[in-house]
Amino acid sequence: MKTSHLFTAGLAGMLLFLASCKKEPLNQLTQAESRIYISSYDSAANFSSFKTYNIADSVAVIRDGSSSKQLTAVDQAYIDAVNKYMQQKGYTLVGKDQSPDIGININRIYNTTTGVIDYTDYLDYGTYWDPYYWGYAGYGYYVPYAYGVYQVSEGLLSIDMLDLKNAATKGKIDLLWNGLIRGEGIFNAANADSGIQTLFSQSTYLKSAQ
Amino acid sequence: MKKITISFVCLLILSAFALNADAQKGQLKLNLDYSSSLPLGNFKKDLISNASPRGVNGSFMYGINNKWSAGLSLGYQDYYQKYPRDVYTTGDHEVTSAVLSNSIQTMPVLAKAMFTPLADSKAFIQPYVSLGTGISIVDFSQYLGEFSSTATNASFTVQGGAGIMVPFKKNSGAGFNLGAGYNYTAYNKFGYKNLNSLAFNAGIHFPLK
Repeated sequence: MKTSHLFTAGLAGMLLFLASCKKEPLNQLTQAESRIYISSYDSAANFSSFKTYNIADSVAVIRDGSSSKQLTAVDQAYIDAVNKYMQQKGYTLVGKDQSPDIGININRIYNTTTGVIDYTDYLDYGTYWDPYYWGYAGYGYYVPYAYGVYQVSEGLLSIDMLDLKNAATKGKIDLLWNGLIRGEGIFNAANADSGIQTLFSQSTYLKSAQ
Repeated sequence: MKKITISFVCLLILSAFALNADAQKGQLKLNLDYSSSLPLGNFKKDLISNASPRGVNGSFMYGINNKWSAGLSLGYQDYYQKYPRDVYTTGDHEVTSAVLSNSIQTMPVLAKAMFTPLADSKAFIQPYVSLGTGISIVDFSQYLGEFSSTATNASFTVQGGAGIMVPFKKNSGAGFNLGAGYNYTAYNKFGYKNLNSLAFNAGIHFPLK
């Protein structure tokens, strides 16, 4: 092979390398950047007309349709953070038996997705795990069965504000506001305060007139 | 991505059969270029303002005569940009605080014509202009945090380019390429329109037997 052709092959190899250099977006995110904070509200509600609130003393854990009540250190951190930022917005914490205007529930929700993996798609397995690693250079892999089942669980945290003030007259309990937190590290107590702060700061209409 | 990689492996194998020649007519040439691309217009304003240094192009060009050649061009360009955390309206009375990332891969498949006006003059440096048209496969993923929406489309593309070719040595059919091209890609997804860009490319060309 001529020198120019060797050069050609080398350059083509470099192009191959560059072509494989896709920036994978998920690899560019820190744990904090992976999290999203979603808030929604009832546009008919006048948040300044509410003065008092109460927050449930435990958290509902909703997992694939079934639920239970728990109070872990993480749950307590979220309750404390909601209390802190509700009071910064001018709302007053009162006892559940003192007819609070707003009731607040916090929920941990886990959704499990079940899927099927097709092992016949594992054509590139040898590029992930070179058989050389096991002392069998040049061998190929073979999967004697075709499919496997996997489960992936995703957790999210939900905060609900309920209209207790007008429940009796309306004959129903309206959802006033909902905050959702999704992403990595949401069930870490150290992230509770910043998460709730973000939800409240983007909900500028949350303000008591008192 | 896997298909693109396989395509370039094929090109690499073909390069082993490269031969020198001094006339273009009747000759099949392979061009391989590294490409750096700069988004323009709405693409730059709404999606990605960063230049992309991650691209390649390859084309097989057949010499119709000494000045004109025509062939098939394939490419790949990866665009990515991450924006700092901000609050986005995501529904009626709903906002979302998120770090937004846009990831776009374009893979043009074009019929291409190239004109080298000084081909008969034996000038050492040969300028060229080119025009290509075809489709681009566009993979677009938009992430709010780690949660993505993805769409894959085939979009009409027109590409105009100009540059120079410099042979490795006198009377050699193989040499370096240096050029720039404007890409118009008609695109309409998620409210975003057209992915236009200016690409700078550098690479090599050589005849294939």
